[in-house]
Amino acid sequence: MSTPETAPRLPVFRLAPDIYAPLLALTQAAKKGLDPVLVELLLIRASQLNRCAFCLDMHVTDARKAGVSEERITLLSAWEEAPAHYTEKERAALAFTEAVTVLTGGFVPDEVYERAAAHFDDAELARLLALITAINSWNRLNVAARTPAGGVL
Amino acid sequence: MTTAHTPRTTSGAAPAATPPHGPRLRWAKLAPDVYKAMIALDAAAKKGLDPALVELVKIRASQLNHCAFCLDMHITDARKAGETEERIYLLSAWEEAPGFYSPEEQAALALTEAVTVLTDGFVPDEVYERAAAHFEDAALAQLLALITTINAWNRFGVATRMAPGQA
Repeated sequence: MSTPETAPRLPVFRLAPDIYAPLLALTQAAKKGLDPVLVELLLIRASQLNRCAFCLDMHVTDARKAGVSEERITLLSAWEEAPAHYTEKERAALAFTEAVTVLTGGFVPDEVYERAAAHFDDAELARLLALITAINSWNRLNVAARTPAGGVL
Repeated sequence: MTTAHTPRTTSGAAPAATPPHGPRLRWAKLAPDVYKAMIALDAAAKKGLDPALVELVKIRASQLNHCAFCLDMHITDARKAGETEERIYLLSAWEEAPGFYSPEEQAALALTEAVTVLTDGFVPDEVYERAAAHFEDAALAQLLALITTINAWNRFGVATRMAPGQA
């Protein structure tokens, strides 16, 4: 992407190199068996909610590479108002992503959980949850460290 | 996340009418490689940090994220580590009880809150600088990793509805 605008506030992965490998392992384990397009949609949506510029830049780029249309990327922050652009399964996963990301707003409602459980079997649901947790972790570290969009970790 | 214990209450027992609260999903069994990565992340994140501070941060994040299982575990762990009851129960109002926490702990708690509630808006310079005044860069990186890791455990705990006191 473009040239980074600023240096990171803290080169967190250089200062704490031991956390990088387990985070990467978590992410790779999470993705197992999940549709790569769905993965990118969820990674973008969580990064929007957590306002992670670095992560948005990375995952919008990756989504394009994976063949996700511009429309589906653009409409993602309003996916509930654009249901025709996402499958029922994707929407269930997006609702689950939002609930698990915004825990401070209150739990993961049964309705949201069951909607996801209707589209994903238990093993997939565990991976889905791990993926949402993993991107939340990357989001936290990169927002706190203020990793610039387009920069390197 | 394997500590098995009985939650301590003033009455010593949960009310008989307590509704069943049990895991929705046995995620660690369903995705053992995920669990293994989480354990490795947890171990790496804690390195070099004061164990008492670690528990305070884990309790405060678990309060914000409403993780019952995590609160139960980390309050129990904090007690075992010799933490006082006062410092445990004042934690959700730490800013109003500054006499109970060191300036370093207060700075770490403010950072914990900002990094946990990202959806309300970033990690302000003021909060970051306050933490940076008390932790050198390497320790600050570990602290951020710790906050991130408890947030990750909280997400598994809440989403799968892990029951307090049950692994």
